This record gives sequence, structure tokens and C-alpha cells, in this order.
Amino acid sequence: MSDGNDSILDAFLYETNTLLEQLDSIVLTSEQQDSFSQEDINSIFRIMHTIKGSSAMMEYNSLMTVAHRAEDMFAIIRDKTMDVVPESLRPELFDLLFQTIDFFRQELERIENGQPLTENIDTLVQKVNRLMEQIRSGGQPEPSPAPAKQEAHHAITPVAGFPYALQIFFDEGCGMENLRAFMLVNAVRELCGDSDFTYEPKGVETDAATAEQIVESGFLLLFRSAADRDSAVHAVTNAGAVRTYQSIDVPEAAQAAAPVQPAAPVQETAAPAPAAPSAAAELMAAAEEPVAQAVPGQSAAPSVQKVDNTPHHKESLISVNLNKLDHLAAVVGEIVITESMVTASPDLKGLKLDAFTKSARQLRKLTDELQDVSMSLRMVPVSGVFQKMNRIVRDMCKKLGKQARLILSGETTEVDKTIVDSIGDPIMHIVRNSMDHGIEEKAADRIAAGKDPVAEIRLSARNTGSEVIIEIKDDGQGVNYDGVLNKAIRNGLASPDVEYSHREILNFLMAPGFSTNTQVTEFSGRGVGMDVVKRNVEEVGGTVSISSEPGQGMTTTLKIPLTMAIMDGMEVSVGGSIFTIPIHNIRQSFKIEEADLIRDASGGEVFKCMGNFYPVIRMRDLYQMEGGCTEIQDGILIWLEAGDLSYCLFVDELLGEQQVVVKPLPSYLNHFNIKARGIAGCTILGDGNISIILDISNLYTSAR
Amino acid sequence: MSERDVLFQTEDDLALEATVEVLPTEKFLLFISDGLLFGVSAEAVVEIITNHTVTSIPLVPDYVKGVINLRGQIIPILDIRRLLGRADHENACIIIVQHEDNQVGILVDQVEKMVDVDITTILPVPPHSNQELVSGMCSLEEGRQTMLVFDCAQLMDRA
Repeated sequence: MSDGNDSILDAFLYETNTLLEQLDSIVLTSEQQDSFSQEDINSIFRIMHTIKGSSAMMEYNSLMTVAHRAEDMFAIIRDKTMDVVPESLRPELFDLLFQTIDFFRQELERIENGQPLTENIDTLVQKVNRLMEQIRSGGQPEPSPAPAKQEAHHAITPVAGFPYALQIFFDEGCGMENLRAFMLVNAVRELCGDSDFTYEPKGVETDAATAEQIVESGFLLLFRSAADRDSAVHAVTNAGAVRTYQSIDVPEAAQAAAPVQPAAPVQETAAPAPAAPSAAAELMAAAEEPVAQAVPGQSAAPSVQKVDNTPHHKESLISVNLNKLDHLAAVVGEIVITESMVTASPDLKGLKLDAFTKSARQLRKLTDELQDVSMSLRMVPVSGVFQKMNRIVRDMCKKLGKQARLILSGETTEVDKTIVDSIGDPIMHIVRNSMDHGIEEKAADRIAAGKDPVAEIRLSARNTGSEVIIEIKDDGQGVNYDGVLNKAIRNGLASPDVEYSHREILNFLMAPGFSTNTQVTEFSGRGVGMDVVKRNVEEVGGTVSISSEPGQGMTTTLKIPLTMAIMDGMEVSVGGSIFTIPIHNIRQSFKIEEADLIRDASGGEVFKCMGNFYPVIRMRDLYQMEGGCTEIQDGILIWLEAGDLSYCLFVDELLGEQQVVVKPLPSYLNHFNIKARGIAGCTILGDGNISIILDISNLYTSAR
Repeated sequence: MSERDVLFQTEDDLALEATVEVLPTEKFLLFISDGLLFGVSAEAVVEIITNHTVTSIPLVPDYVKGVINLRGQIIPILDIRRLLGRADHENACIIIVQHEDNQVGILVDQVEKMVDVDITTILPVPPHSNQELVSGMCSLEEGRQTMLVFDCAQLMDRA
């Protein structure tokens, strides 16, 4: 393995990422309760402490500072319990924690990519400090004058017609604040017209006394439109000596009322739930019907409620390099094969060996068990991927102003590690799609349709034995078939003269270059569409299907094989060669006569079966092999299906069904581009021979 | 100062002497293919196997004989005679060679022996000759034979 430094870094990244995931789920659950249980506070404190310590060790100072401040804050909350945080401050506390988590994630990503860390952490530290100050003062029985004063300073007097404010604080002790402010005004004036913004206090150019006022309560720029403000933010960040700034929206309705508290999100959730369950963050452990526990309409935020009394199992887990597991799986595969080579050795033929047979049977039992165990090592629960969706739904709820909750079920379902990694993005994309396009814009629309105003997205996984089925189901407005069809026609995917079935229309959604949203939004429209989802899932051997009932929502189903390393295959022979066809591609096999074959116009062979015609491909001709049957009645016809393709393959003989370990072809052979010709890999049979695994869809494409 | 100089000098001289002894020779494995004597650097040789079933692979050039299962590893087998455009021959000896992370087996007529070759005697191939897969030539000690230095890197890149 790599040198020492790298492995320490790996350990740091792994550990910190794990902690952040833990933190994320604690905060999410707690936000539900609007309070932290004492246990949660302790774990957050511990997590921050650990991150602080390890970042200090790795000399990531910015991470250390932020973790340190967060730790301080939780030290206060820990000592004085959650009651110390006034309810009005709680949403801010949760938001700040999410911001902190995002900050850490972003920095870790930079570390992973070898980029320098962000130096500018002042804004975040400032926010933590301010909140800490507010908590500290708010918690005291008699609020000291200081916080009162501070709050007054942060208050904004709204100016009619300028609802978008930007509050700017300059570096402490930088001097001449009024002139600095005036320079800002000039900079902003270049960006937007004189009439589009105003500022507070007035007279910064001439009146030196305003400097004092700016130091105390900040300099206020007020804009007519949010766009102007956004461009001004740019100017502000470029200006020197700006310590911090924040954007404040003064709602029109509230303008007449009391000054608006900055940074405090408008909505406040109901009273804290009593008796917070130990939200020990091990959400995966609570598989028992979270659905039943979620009380509809209780809360606006995405909700995953579960009772979880299991203690942390951290100590009984170790992390292992994936390469070692791959190696183990390979060796075990060999042992299984060698075992059958030994026990079925031709040298033993005709001998009567009672003791040997008995031991051999014992050996087989043990090797089978060994194989099962080594396969299970690579299996991880999908909960990691599912949990991430909580955060996405939460963020999108806030951003889009929609109300939705996410209901998870079957997160304990285990899938091969590589597959879990590759289905994360597709699931995220589908969830975003549901949030963005699926769920109705306004709660009123939902009520009018007789639905719960809080939308529901169900994410479920279940294991059918050979594959895992993941369903993402929303109860939104469903697919607008006409809209999709029109779009498909506009994009040249569909022809206007053809009548399409609903299923065919849904398939357009997954066609490359299709996206029903005309506007690119922050979440869904990033130039990738369902076609990317489809491709990612197909890469791991899975399939995607969509079903939708107008007005009732949409269901996306991903069918994914449990593992890519092992599959059920049908061994067939052509000449002297053996090929393996994945069992799930096989529909049926036929023994037919020459007379059953029909010639089409281009000379290709076609076979009619169950009222449909299927093209026939002869393996022998396709792969230009020397041996093999040429007369159709000597061989056998296999009806295959892969995705939308359906055709018949002519081979010599079916040898039997077998579970095989998929091995990639040697890289040397990749030069010859045989993958595109339908050869997916190879496998070692029980007798040590090699069989070639066929890719049914590539095989067809190369034959055409 | 002078003492140190002396010290350095001796060290340098010693190092020089050591390299003089080790550097110039390299072990080569000699094998015969269609009457030509090839030598492949022993560093690159993983092992020599005989009598292995080769599974043929469709749709590849004819010099790719197929793949073998060597204790669970799938290794492609190349026929040197075909590579050099020569006639087929019943040969059952495979030398597994490794270049970077790739292993391939080469099918040869016969494996001869290991020899130590003074690498300074290896001469470049004449510039206009069409010798493929050969990176140099050298006369062996007996003087009667000429060894063609087999180029594993070229073999891998050839495809």
C-alpha cells in the first residue's frame, strides 16, 4: 500500500466522513423534535471534539477552528441543557449546524482532490460566535443589556420599496468606515441604477459621525430586486476590509411591523416533541415500519421517525481496504473450484473410498460456507445512500417552499458495495426530480386534489433473492403524458403521426437529450436527465422503469442485481467453445426445423413465436467459428431478451445452469474491442475450463 | 578536510568497483521459435508452463491463441510464430512474461536455458531491418549463436 502519510490521510478522511454522516443524521432527527436530547448533545460535542483533534493533527487549521467553535457552543448547551436555547433561536442553530457540516464536507472534498483549503472561514466562525453569544445571553434569567443592544443593532428599519437588504460590517478598527461605505455605494452604483437601490445611514460621504453608526449597526444597502443585490454581493466581497455581510429579505407585509430579526428563518416549528427518542443516528437499525409512525401533517419538514434503542455498534466494526476483499473473494472462488477439481478428479474414478467421500462432503460444506461469508463481506446496507436523501428533501423543501416528507423502508437491505456506490447518484436524481417536478407547486393544489398538503416521497428497498428492487414513489401530480409527448415530438424523439402507448411515452423520459423542464433549476436541471440515471443503473446490470398515474404521482423502480461478481448463467456450447448466457436474459428455448425459419428481405433469418417475429442470430457465423452446427435442427434456438431487444440465438447445445464468478477479460484483450462485440467477461468452470460470458445487448448490436 | 576527501574517494571507488561487478551482466532465458534463438530478460519471466488447455476467443487476430486459467488468473496466450508471420507448429510450451501490470503467455517451440549476458555486448538492431519484437542482438559466448533480445514492451503495445 501507499506510504504512511497517505494512509493517515485516508484514515482521517474516512473517520471524518463517517462522523459527519453521523452528525447529519443526528441533526436531522433532532430538527424533527426541535430539540436535542442530552445524549445527542454529548455525541455532537464528541464528534466536534474528534474532528478538532484530528484536524489539528493533520494541520488543517481552518477545520480545527470551526470545529473548536462548534465544540464550544455545544459545551454551553451541554452544561445548561437544551433549555438554554430559546425556541426562537433553534431554527438558526439547526441551520448553522447544517452549514457547518456542509463546510466540513466541502473542505474534505478539497483535501481529497488535493486542492488548498478555504482560508476564509470568518463568516462561519462569526455566525457561530454570534449564535453562541445569543444563546449565552438568552439563557440567563435576566438578559444582560448587551444582547439587547446587539439585537437592536441588527435590526433593520425597512424602507418601502426596497425589500432586499444587504447588511455589511467592516473590519474592526479599520477606520473611516463612512468613506469605505461611500466607496461601496459608488461600486454598487456602477452595477445598478441610482433609483434601484438606497443605503442607510445617509450622508456617509460628508458626515464623519456616521462612521460610529456603521461600526455599531453595520452599513445597509437596500435594493429593489434580489438580482441587483446578488450582483452587489460580488462588489462587496471584492471590496477591502469587509468583515462580514449578510443578505436580509424584508418581507413587504412585515415592513410596517416591528423590525425584522436578521438571519432568523421566518417559520418556527411547533413545540419540541416530548421525550425525544434516543436518536442515536443509527437509523439503519430501525427498520420496523417507520411508515406507521410518521404522523401525517404533523410537521412541514421531511420526516423520518423511528424509535431506535440500539446502542452504537461502532466498536465492533472495522474498515477494510476494498482491494483486500476483492482478493479474498478471488481466492475463495479458486478454493471452491479447486475443491471440485479434487473431489471429482478422474484418478478417483471407480475407487471406493468411504472415508474420502465423507471428508470431501465435509469439505464441500465448509467451502460453500466460506464462499457465502466472503460474499457477504462485500455487502453493505443501502441505508447510507437512503439517509443522504433526507438531507436533500429537507434542503429542497426549504428552497422550493414545498412541503414533503421522506419515508424510508427496507434500508437494511444489503447490496454489493460497488453497486451501492453507483446507485447513489441515480436515486438522488430521481428524488430531486420528484421534489422539483413531481410534487405540486402549491399546497393548495394538493388540497384541491384531495391530498394531504404535505407531500410524501417513499423510498423503499427489498430483496427478491436474485435482485434488489428500489422504488422511489411520490404522490405528486404524475406525468403529464401530453406534455411529454409534445416535448418528445419537438425534440425529434417521437413522430407526430404515431399513436404512442403510455408506456412508450414514459420511455421518452429516459431517452437521451430529453428534459421536460424548460428552465434549468438549481436542483434538477443540470444538463443530465433520466437518461443518465438509466445509463448508470444499466452499468451495474440493472434496469429502470417508470410508471405513473396522472394526479396520483409517479413511481420509479430500479431493479439491481445483488452483486456483479456472481451471476446465474446458462452454459451453451458452440463447436468446442463454451459460452455463458446470463439466465435473466433467457426467455425460452426451442428445437425447430428448417421449415420454421422465414427469410426476410435482406436475407436474414426470422423465427415466428407467439405471434411475433424475432431475428435469428447464429453464434457460429457471428463469431466466425470453425466448429458447430450448421443445420438448424441439430442445434437449439434460445429466445433472449435484454431491455427492449428481443431475438433468438442459435447454438449447438445447452449444457446446464451454473452459478459463475464473473472475471474481467485480461486488459491485453481490450485492444481488440471484443466487449462491443458481445463478450462481457469470462468465468472459470468447475473443471478449470474457461467459459466466455456474453453480453446479450452488445451481441445483438454487433450482429446488426 | 583532507581526511574527508580521502574517505569520500575510497567510498566512491568502492561503489564503482561494486557496480562494475554487478551491472554489465543480465540473465536471459533462451528459447527457440521457428529456428530462431530468442532471449527474454529473466526479470520479465514469471514462469514456464507446459500442456495447458487454451480456450480460444472469437473475433481476435489469429496470433491470439486464446486464454488460459492459471490458478484463477485469466492470461492471454500469444503465438510468436503467427506474430512473426511464420507457419504454424505444434508447440506446447508457454512462457508467462510480465510487463508492468500485464501478464501474457507466449507460445514457443522450445525453452533452452538461462544465460548471463554482458549487456554491453548487446547491439542495436540494424535500423532498416524488419525485425519485429526484437530490441537488440548479441553474440553468445560460444560465438556460434546469435541471440535476439525479445522485446516484451513491444509485444504488449502491439495490439
